[in-house]
Amino acid sequence: MAKNMKIKAKLKGDIVNAKVVAKHDMLTYDQAKAKGKEANFITHITAKVGDVVVYDVSTSQFWSKNPQFKFKFKGAVKGDELSITWTDLLKNTVTESKKIK
Amino acid sequence: MERRKFLGLGVMALVALPATISAITSIDFRATKPEAWTAHKVDEAVKALFGDITPVEQGIELGLPSVASSGAAVPLTIKSDLDAKTVAIFQDMNPESATAVFNVPENGIVDYFMKIKLKATDENGGKGVVTAVIEGRDGKFYIGKKTLDVAKGGCEG
Repeated sequence: MAKNMKIKAKLKGDIVNAKVVAKHDMLTYDQAKAKGKEANFITHITAKVGDVVVYDVSTSQFWSKNPQFKFKFKGAVKGDELSITWTDLLKNTVTESKKIK
Repeated sequence: MERRKFLGLGVMALVALPATISAITSIDFRATKPEAWTAHKVDEAVKALFGDITPVEQGIELGLPSVASSGAAVPLTIKSDLDAKTVAIFQDMNPESATAVFNVPENGIVDYFMKIKLKATDENGGKGVVTAVIEGRDGKFYIGKKTLDVAKGGCEG
């Protein structure tokens, strides 16, 4: 599958700063109606390091197109893999990961 | 009969215990609280998500531009030092209010950034309020609000 996310994860002190851009139209119900398409947007994003959930959010149609988001967490070291999964309204799921620098 | 009942309960307890310990902390609030996402008013959405609460206004820092040039992607930051369990973000400009509900992992850091769409209409005159509610691990609720102006709506797309 083509790259769906841009992930940057950098360790600063004991805190990992994660920056993500996900590729998604985030079509709201109103926009979809106007375009004669089916509404679809990311409804959930989870980030994990190993089995540990470090970021977990239920999202709405009101996140911007190609949503950008950032978050911070502790407990990881350089080289750990940060894996991010999103699910959308039509139940598509994408998981991509990146090593923490 | 009594003894059988007792044994049955014992088995149930054994099965239930590991499940609570290993509870993976991912929560899908769209599935657990579906009414919160269809509410058209902020207080209705808050009530659907958290119930009848009287939050105190403290401990939440909302970062938003006071004037957003476009409603298509308004940068929003929420920070808090509160020991948060749940962080919810609402706004009063779009058809529905709920925007994001974070399930904060234990010892998690509340410093979230996202870009959201805000619809400026004739009715709201491009003015709106973003409201954040935090459910603390202390069982208390906290609220923070910030007003902003949006030049052009982001929902027309």
